[in-house]
Amino acid sequence: MTILEARGIRKHFGGVVALDGANLTCKQGKITGLLGANGSGKSTMSKIITGVYSADAGEITYNGRAVRYHSPNEAKQAGIAMVFQNMSLVADLTVCQNIVLGAEKTRGLFLDNKAAAQLSKEIVDQLLPGLDVRRMVHELNPGEMQVVEIAKAISTNPRLLILDEPTAALEQAQVKSLFDTMRRLVSKGVAIVFTSHRLWEVMEICDEAVIFRNGRNVADLDFSREVKDPEKIVSFITGEAGKATVERTRRKENREIVLRVSNMNYGSCIRDVSFDLKRGEILGIGGLAGQGQHELMLALAGSYSGVTGEVELHGKKIRLNKPASAIRNSILLVPGDRQLEGLFLGHSVFTNLIFPKLGLKAQPLFTPEKKYRRESEKIVDTLSIVTHNLDMPVNSLSGGNQQKVVVGKWLAFDTNVLLLADPAKGVDVGAKRDLYEYIVGQVAENRMSVVLYASDNEELIEYCDRLLIMYEGRIVATMEGEEITDDAIVATSMRVR
Amino acid sequence: MSFLSKLRDTPVYEAVDRYKKLIIAFLLIVLLFVVGEIVLETFFSLGQILLTIKLASFIALFGLCQMVVIASGGSGLDLSVGYMATMTAVFTAAIMDGQNSNLWLAVLVALGLGIAVGLANGVLTAYFKLPPLVVTLAMANILQGIINAYTAGKNITGRPSPVLQIIAAKSTGLFPNILFILLILAPIVTVIMNKTRWGLKLFGSGANQTAAYLSGVNVKMVRCTAFIISGTLASLMGLMLIGNMGIAFKDMGSNYVMPSIAAVVVGGVSLTGGEGNYLGVLLGAIFLQTLTNLLVALGWGDAGKWIGFGIVLFVLLIVYVSNRRKR
Amino acid sequence: MNKQSFLKRFISNPDFSRLLILILMFVLTAVLQRNFFAKRAIVRNIDSFTPLILMTMGQAVVIISGGLDLSVGPALSLMTCVLTSVMREGVPISGLHALVVAFAAAMAIGMVNGIGIGYLRIPPVIVTFATSFIWLGIALFLRPTPGGETVDWFQAFYRIRNVETAPAFLKAFGETIPPSLLLVLTGCLLWWIVSRTRTGRYIYAVGGNSQSAYETGINTAWVQMKACMINSAFIFLAALFFVGQNRSGDARMGDPLTLKAIAAAVVGGIALTGGRGSVFFALIGALIFSFVSKIIFFANIPNAYQTLFGGVIVIVAIAASQLYTLSSRRSGQESKLT
Repeated sequence: MTILEARGIRKHFGGVVALDGANLTCKQGKITGLLGANGSGKSTMSKIITGVYSADAGEITYNGRAVRYHSPNEAKQAGIAMVFQNMSLVADLTVCQNIVLGAEKTRGLFLDNKAAAQLSKEIVDQLLPGLDVRRMVHELNPGEMQVVEIAKAISTNPRLLILDEPTAALEQAQVKSLFDTMRRLVSKGVAIVFTSHRLWEVMEICDEAVIFRNGRNVADLDFSREVKDPEKIVSFITGEAGKATVERTRRKENREIVLRVSNMNYGSCIRDVSFDLKRGEILGIGGLAGQGQHELMLALAGSYSGVTGEVELHGKKIRLNKPASAIRNSILLVPGDRQLEGLFLGHSVFTNLIFPKLGLKAQPLFTPEKKYRRESEKIVDTLSIVTHNLDMPVNSLSGGNQQKVVVGKWLAFDTNVLLLADPAKGVDVGAKRDLYEYIVGQVAENRMSVVLYASDNEELIEYCDRLLIMYEGRIVATMEGEEITDDAIVATSMRVR
Repeated sequence: MSFLSKLRDTPVYEAVDRYKKLIIAFLLIVLLFVVGEIVLETFFSLGQILLTIKLASFIALFGLCQMVVIASGGSGLDLSVGYMATMTAVFTAAIMDGQNSNLWLAVLVALGLGIAVGLANGVLTAYFKLPPLVVTLAMANILQGIINAYTAGKNITGRPSPVLQIIAAKSTGLFPNILFILLILAPIVTVIMNKTRWGLKLFGSGANQTAAYLSGVNVKMVRCTAFIISGTLASLMGLMLIGNMGIAFKDMGSNYVMPSIAAVVVGGVSLTGGEGNYLGVLLGAIFLQTLTNLLVALGWGDAGKWIGFGIVLFVLLIVYVSNRRKR
Repeated sequence: MNKQSFLKRFISNPDFSRLLILILMFVLTAVLQRNFFAKRAIVRNIDSFTPLILMTMGQAVVIISGGLDLSVGPALSLMTCVLTSVMREGVPISGLHALVVAFAAAMAIGMVNGIGIGYLRIPPVIVTFATSFIWLGIALFLRPTPGGETVDWFQAFYRIRNVETAPAFLKAFGETIPPSLLLVLTGCLLWWIVSRTRTGRYIYAVGGNSQSAYETGINTAWVQMKACMINSAFIFLAALFFVGQNRSGDARMGDPLTLKAIAAAVVGGIALTGGRGSVFFALIGALIFSFVSKIIFFANIPNAYQTLFGGVIVIVAIAASQLYTLSSRRSGQESKLT
């Protein structure tokens, strides 16, 4: 019996279309897997169903009635619960207190802590026996925290439970416990939507799988009737070879090594990473989101102190313990989250473009305004940045043009190594093309080297000479030239191959 | 295209939008004078205006200290400026002793004290990461304690050098001399903040400390420097205060702390940092002083003054700062 | 959990060190103050600690909820002025009126701060900075100079034996348990009750992660308002003590207590970022603070230097507390910039 049906859902953010008429059906007592690449829309769909976002078009029917939720709380009251990837726990409360937060039982005026402890222990024991519900959440490791998040969702006795990549931080044993709990829930009639990038998990636990691509449904697999074929699923996710492989003259000369990284470690984000970067090459870093790629970029830019391992630039050992040291060595970073890390939103385009120059030594006290303006205008021209004039505040520009500013501010610098942390994220097609055209041109002309992390595999395929795939902080695969195909990337990222 | 969107494209509208907060501040001042004139009939007089400007100049100069610290971000605020000025006034009173000959020494002492206290504030907030509010408040206490210890049991002797008195207290023709100091300082400040490397680093640190850090700016050093500047400036203001009053006494500077912050708020400068418009602070200072005068002229006295301040500040905070965005 | 690990956890817990420091300060004071254990001295010490204890506990509640209140000193002054303005000497019933009016004023103060912090989401530092001047102004309006009237029985909040018309058994009671102690216990009882209700839990949740609390359906603004009003209740108790003791209202008497209350709360383990700390340990923080002040007093440091030391202590105390709390907490898995 169908509990929830979403039909024709459309959603856009700025100029980017996240969902383009997508559908999803959830049946009582069944686990529906939701699959798709980064940006395929599956996360957006989950968030629309649970009231975090509101759809632009389309309708959702829940228990036979049309509904529209404006907040996760509303959805929760109706019996739809979701476990997000991001923390929704209060670190300074205990496991038990977090699980019952907002729905505490009281005896008269006072909280009924005993009942809360009992309830929370019951749920937690099903998921992770031995986890003491009296422990503070901030003491737990990410896997345990995820368990508490799941427990919190289950405690509301939902009729529909949406799990958005719940296994990302879990270990094998915990995954098994989670699956047991899921089976128990569905036997009671709960409907579950389960997203994961680990194909084998989806194939093990799900009754059916819905695959999204570019905001639309591309496949609906019923595992009770079809044979589970991972390669076929991967091909649905990536799409038939509709993309003409871009003809790229991938030079195979013997080039010298510009950057050599050996045994880099940082917490649990970067584990024993070693690689070489050759002059004039574009080295890609790929893999599923959150496997350490962003942290690797930041580490190479000197943003962290406490990174161990060796880095050699042109054969000389260098220390990258603060951004200034990276910049001095002409290793420049274009940060991933332009709003948080790359721009001064309230300030003008001009200020943003010239900002890095301020950190250089041997600069005059007064900013040489005329000279800088000329340089800035050149940058605006080169990158085709769309803005009325240099003094417009940068938050009035579109996302793509903002990103051009983030890239542009390094343009006047001599660059040894350019670190691009997802430069085209949330950028429209035109701006994306401009940016990459420029970068590729620079590489060819100046023989600078680029390390490119992109969440969109298309970019990696089109522009990289070599590609490293990261998983859980390690480099698990290296591909060169012709080997770089969408299938290969997705497969290795998901550890199918 | 609708009329409104056509309007939006005109340069006039653009200018108005950008200077919105300054215009509001100016209109508020006008409003006060209008109210004063209606109620009291003698409020809008030349003498009144000049007096207002003179007193407002003092507030504006303290406001500069706040603006630098606030602009550097990190919830920056300097509550020690009042006692900093007082301490310098008290210490240099005896040095100067009514003569011009030791003025240079007094200035040196003032600079030394200002840098020392500013450095202490800066290190504690930027490097030890203690909240600026608490640190500068405690520092104010410490400075107060030093003053108490120094003046224990004896009167504060010493008078300012005549030069100082001329600068701080007297006027040339109609205009108070301190105004000239302000008029010279204001454009210098604006230029430094908007056109020099350091100024842009300051704004960057306040606007987005992560972006500034990733661009190679030493954010901690910038913030520490901001406090040093604030302390030094406040200390020099101590010389102005004693020049104006003719003597030094224990609580001289305390009445300037609140107005200095209020002037920054009224002037539309963001309290989270990253921007700073000294013209706004000037207008804010004038507004506050006019408000004080109005309240005093209305016979509301001390009590009314504080209530008025508090309410006005509260209302302005609601308008400028409140975060009622939908989550 | 076996006994050994419990013991280990107890020792590495920063709260344990706070208890140790308290005991140390207690001993030092006892050594320096010659008649420390004499009954009169004990009562006088309790009297002098009471205002700070109450103010600190109230401030702790606000800080835990994610706020900060710079107006507590002037609020206290205002309440004393209200009390002494409503009371009429020789009219016993006016004392009761004064209590009602002052309590209403306290709740109003809490609501205004709460609206600013919770509903309008103005940074607490700035908004309470603004309201502190409103309280100061109103207090000055009521009492331009210290003074005012009190009724005789109001002294019961300080010394029951001073109230001529009090029955003998009450006076005797007041000798064994000083009213100041009773006020502190009232405060403790108030918090003990609140902490066991939903509001108490939500105060921690909102201060710890207000976004998550909001998404769970908690009305964060209302919770923060309630925290401000609870703070006002504590300040009210302190006002009762002051007026009982000094029999007058003063618009500026509370000013020095603002910073001390914040510092004492931090010493007691309240994190300025919110969501953490125990109000009862904030009480201990206030005790430590008070003992240290006493030690300085008895160490014969000249009067003039005491304010100076006060400020230094605050900085040292906060610095030490922040460093200590930060290091003993497990650092997050995420990488941190700057």
